[in-house]
Amino acid sequence: MPFPSLSIGDLTAKLPIVQGGMGVGISLHRLAAAVAAEGGIGVIAGAMIGMREHDIAKDPQTANARALAAEIVKARALTDGVLGVNIMVVLTDFSNLVRTSIANRADVIFSGAGLPMELPKIFRTMCEEKKEDFKTKLVPIISSARAASILCKKWLLKADYLPDAFVLEGPKAGGHLGFKPEDLNDPEYSLDTVLPQVLDSLKPFEDKYGRAIPVIAAGGVYTGGDIHKYLTMGAAGVQMGTRFVATEECDADIRFKQAIVNAKEEDLTIIKSPVGMPGRAIRGRFLEALEEGKKNFKCVFHCVSTCDPETSPYCIAQALLNAMKGNLDRGFAFIGANGPRVDCITTVKELIHSLQVEYDAAVQAARA
Amino acid sequence: MSVEARVKKIIMDQLGVSEDAVKSDASFVEDLGADSLDLTELIMAMEEEFGVEIEDEQAQKILKVCDAVNFIESSAK
Repeated sequence: MPFPSLSIGDLTAKLPIVQGGMGVGISLHRLAAAVAAEGGIGVIAGAMIGMREHDIAKDPQTANARALAAEIVKARALTDGVLGVNIMVVLTDFSNLVRTSIANRADVIFSGAGLPMELPKIFRTMCEEKKEDFKTKLVPIISSARAASILCKKWLLKADYLPDAFVLEGPKAGGHLGFKPEDLNDPEYSLDTVLPQVLDSLKPFEDKYGRAIPVIAAGGVYTGGDIHKYLTMGAAGVQMGTRFVATEECDADIRFKQAIVNAKEEDLTIIKSPVGMPGRAIRGRFLEALEEGKKNFKCVFHCVSTCDPETSPYCIAQALLNAMKGNLDRGFAFIGANGPRVDCITTVKELIHSLQVEYDAAVQAARA
Repeated sequence: MSVEARVKKIIMDQLGVSEDAVKSDASFVEDLGADSLDLTELIMAMEEEFGVEIEDEQAQKILKVCDAVNFIESSAK
């Protein structure tokens, strides 16, 4: 049985699979275009995307915006599929990157690591300025039902805009997590517990405004069986990150992908990120050395509003970029809780195919 | 009820803290245990109670009980 499609308003992806945006530079045009071409939603990560531009220190806002625009254009040249961007709320050039994404006709803007309160206002302003009804969908990434209803209320109040969909990221996700470290293993906060709560909290808004607000489940989604489970629970789709890292098309260096393949359960750790949230990562020389104290670094651009370069133990943008380039001694890789299950590098096509086979088996089993 | 008393009541209701804890110089995050969602809900509750609009930029400067009281008092004038 084919996967059901994922509709966000008038936008439809053939597959209910979103490739999570992964920064710095892990998901750029190559991975995003490959996922979109297979029918999923491919997502370019906007965080410090201009780190490799020549003028990043001199004119960081311009460098980041130019690099993001270039990645969207390159991805679009490769596919007619659905392409999104991920722009973190804590980025100091959030508004500039959102505007760049809309101007370059990204199909979806996913935004988390904080509550994207200003997102619909920026969108409305863009539409007015350019005298155009842009089609970009605005999708906050949240971790609780409370956040879902707060965003619906605030967006309606401030911009008369109802979120087009939500990504609900549970505590098993990789990278930055919207939970307190001590709550990560508490069943009360698990994706399975929170998903029904989020669906319930959105119901009144769906009823009142007469349209669906799809919820995309994320954090620990690994097999086609998992996809079946969350769709059965009422999610409209899933978001997966780590599995897409272990693909040939992923934009990171082969050594980064290999680090994911080699990671074992005991290698995973929860870091306290300079972004101000906990994050799940692979332990390594870099993170271990940090336990001995702060590293000296030069901050080229105050990229994250919640980071204080004076007191931060290291530059996370530089560390993530080093890892992306394969230098894992001078950086580290984020990873999802199920990352240790990854045992080989495949292609996006093969991965989607295996998810389809597992999904079919789950559908059959549910019927039996 | 004075503006100050009304603001304090909202804080008590929203954050589930006692009247004693809501001192003028109490910090929402450090002293009253609020997280970012609590702060957002608090701002929304004040907007509703006093019929004002608090821009995000201003909201980010409301860190203590007295900041909230001062903001509402000055915007009501």
